[in-house]
Amino acid sequence: MNETVAPTASKARVLFVDDEPRVLTTMRVLFRAQYQVFTAEGGAQALELLKTQPVDVIVSDQRMPGMTGIELLRAARELNPNAMRILLTGYSDLNAIIGSINEGEIFRFVSKPWANEELTTTVARAVAAARSSAAAAAGDAPAPTIGPAPGVLVLDDDPTVARRIQSILGSDFRVFGATTMDEAVSIMERERIGVVISETRVQSNPVIGLIGTLKQHHPELVSVILTDRADAGTAIELINQGQIYRFITKPIQDSQCKITVSSALRQHHRLAQSPELHQRYAVAAPPPAAVAPAAKLLDRIRSLRTVVKRWV
Amino acid sequence: MAADEVRGRKRGTVLRRLLLTLSSILALAAIGLLVFLARKAQTVDNELHLQRLYHIRAVDALDVGLNRAVTQVGVSTMVNVADTRAVTTAQLGDALDALENGDAGLRGLSPAVDAALDAFLDAVESKFELAFDFEARNIRTNQLLIAGMDAVPVAADALLAQVDEATAARLAPLLAQLKTEVTTYGVVQTPVNEANIRRLLDDVAAAVDGQSEAALTAARHLRTVSGNVIADKQELVGRVSDFLAKPTAELLQALEQAYMDWHASQVAVANQYRQWLVAYAAILLLVLALLGIRLVRSLRALDAANDRLEEQVQARTQELSRALKDLKASQAQLIQSEKMASLGQMVAGVAHEINTPLGYARSNTEIVRTSLGDLRALVDAQARALHLMTHEEADVTQVADALAAARNIGESLNAAELIGELDNLLGDSEHGLAQIAELVGSLKDFSRVDRSRTDLFDVNDGIDAALKICQNQLKHRIEVVKAYGKLPQIECSPSQLNQVFLNLINNAAQAIDGEGKIYIHTMPSAKGVSIRVLDTGCGMTEEVRARIFEPFFTTKPVGKGTGLGLSIVYRIIEDHGGTIDVRSSPGKGSEFTIELPLRQRTDSTTRDAAAAVAVTA
Repeated sequence: MNETVAPTASKARVLFVDDEPRVLTTMRVLFRAQYQVFTAEGGAQALELLKTQPVDVIVSDQRMPGMTGIELLRAARELNPNAMRILLTGYSDLNAIIGSINEGEIFRFVSKPWANEELTTTVARAVAAARSSAAAAAGDAPAPTIGPAPGVLVLDDDPTVARRIQSILGSDFRVFGATTMDEAVSIMERERIGVVISETRVQSNPVIGLIGTLKQHHPELVSVILTDRADAGTAIELINQGQIYRFITKPIQDSQCKITVSSALRQHHRLAQSPELHQRYAVAAPPPAAVAPAAKLLDRIRSLRTVVKRWV
Repeated sequence: MAADEVRGRKRGTVLRRLLLTLSSILALAAIGLLVFLARKAQTVDNELHLQRLYHIRAVDALDVGLNRAVTQVGVSTMVNVADTRAVTTAQLGDALDALENGDAGLRGLSPAVDAALDAFLDAVESKFELAFDFEARNIRTNQLLIAGMDAVPVAADALLAQVDEATAARLAPLLAQLKTEVTTYGVVQTPVNEANIRRLLDDVAAAVDGQSEAALTAARHLRTVSGNVIADKQELVGRVSDFLAKPTAELLQALEQAYMDWHASQVAVANQYRQWLVAYAAILLLVLALLGIRLVRSLRALDAANDRLEEQVQARTQELSRALKDLKASQAQLIQSEKMASLGQMVAGVAHEINTPLGYARSNTEIVRTSLGDLRALVDAQARALHLMTHEEADVTQVADALAAARNIGESLNAAELIGELDNLLGDSEHGLAQIAELVGSLKDFSRVDRSRTDLFDVNDGIDAALKICQNQLKHRIEVVKAYGKLPQIECSPSQLNQVFLNLINNAAQAIDGEGKIYIHTMPSAKGVSIRVLDTGCGMTEEVRARIFEPFFTTKPVGKGTGLGLSIVYRIIEDHGGTIDVRSSPGKGSEFTIELPLRQRTDSTTRDAAAAVAVTA
């Protein structure tokens, strides 16, 4: 399977995992021209391979005997944190998706049946992100910043959610509550925000557009979804177009919430310190219909950049 | 809070019991008082009183009788007078005894009565003594008197015989008068003619004065005899008057008076009690009336409450029937949603199964199309080279260039290998499409909506269809061991039975953690067919086993199962006139056994057919 024509060092290494060998055949044919392609018919085989061969991108099926895609990606993240993770799945139940977001920290979902162009684009982006961030990937426990700690913005129709989170996090954190997207942007104009905790919909409007635009223009912002309206389709959108960091469900569990926010703040700090990591969290271009929030709001978000730059 | 309530209720019960005891004691006391007062009011026994009065009268009458008897002694010489007196005396003794003692006796009634009784009895006793004392002498005196009375006429006749005729003529009327007077004196009870006798005797003495000695002697004898009669009579009269002077009547009257006084006092006491009784009875009546009023009031309240209760019951019944209707509706909805949920789960599994072959088939098709472009370029280049070669005007260098270009393209494409590869990809795609076709076919087989309720159906086919549907759940993890017998076709609703098999296989698969086996045995039985589904899963406790066919009972976490799957299985099997049994032991696995009859009962067929139509709709 190894291409001997080109020097291996220059070719990105991509691992495909699926229990259906015909899928692997197709992948090999499809990608062998651009990448060094590795294949595995199951999680265990894939992990064996990862121990000896570092790869840039892992594309895995979700439903496989023995080990699910999420389990594989979580284990792969520990073995090979720099590798970008993509889940290729025919049907995903909600738990699988939430698990892959929170535990697998995946880059994209691609659903079966896939379009070759979409898949190659996604893999190409993942490869680019992996390559550019390879150096900074290991950067852990960064030094504390000077000035006030970045705040947490809570975007929810229910104003008590912000108060609840403030009481869970304690007075060390600055929590700002917003019940509309306008209000949220106003707060971001005034305050230094590191983490956005949001419902999936605010005032009956999906937040995906806002989250995606924020991530696009301010990659150092970390988004966490806190919702009681979890559904698989929304979660897939949020990861693909919003690069949400975590997806948690109501009712709020104190310890889970605290751990998530702390971890999100660390992630924010990491991203702020290392701009080369941003590409790892680049969002996919949303389908035209999803750009729902008013253009004015998007302009305001874009203009936030300078403010944020000043903080960073 | 509940404990407090129970304690409160218990305290209430104790209190009520105490109150009940208290009120019964009170009622008993009230009745006791009533009886006591009634008895007291009736202390004076009227019959006894009359008896006592009768005794007194009897004694009085006998006393009078005795007196009369004693008095008669003086006048009568007949012996039976004494007998009469003796009889009277005996009667009097009995009467006295009755008066003093016995039920109606007066003794001991009161000190006053006792004293009066004693006085009277003393008097009677002394009277008796007197009577006995002169009983004997009286008879003699009486005989003397009678003899004297008899002697007087004799003496008078003797005198008459001693005198001369003249004197005799004078004497005769005197003597006749004397005889009459003496007889009168002796017979009359209390004679008053003693002076007459004395005067007549004096007259006689005067008439015989101067007569012979014999005449004088006879006259003196006459005087003596007459004097004896007077003396005897006087003795008799004195004794009788002595006897009669005994104050028995007065004393008896005093006794009666004393008794009457006592009786009056008794009656007065009884009257007192009677008044109290009346007052008490009045109070009791008042209390009863009050109780009655209260009772009537509570009865009225009870009636009202009953009416209200009836209304409430009606309202409740309506509410309940409404709730029941709602419940039935929501149950039907739940069953439907369970069907949808299991269908959704099934579709999810099948979607994945279909999406994988669809994925590579589609991708392969795109690759083939892209490669066809390359191959077309090669074919074009080769065609141009061929055209130049066969064209006579063509330049040699031109031909060589064209050939080189075609070869270059062919080399870069590695055409032979590419075509082989494309062939492989198309083969894969065909395989994928066949797989998809098979899956869609099994879905169709499984749903069986194109077959009627009373179709003849091979259960083995149904199990195979269900196994295909949940293949993705079992794949790589669970080995299915099939032991199918040759089964007769049975009359049933295939789509419903398929759901039963799918549910049972799904349950078995979920009971197995990790790897395991599911055994499916079918065989013809006496009634129809018998199906056994065994798994090597976790099994269940007796407690769980007893409840698994209950609706909403589930051991799965919230949101994972509706708890309706096995209850629907149970209903379907029951609707088919079959039975389902389960045996299980924790840690070893479970075994479900289904028995299905060959034919459906005709009466239920129509109903079930209707139900099946409704479900399908």
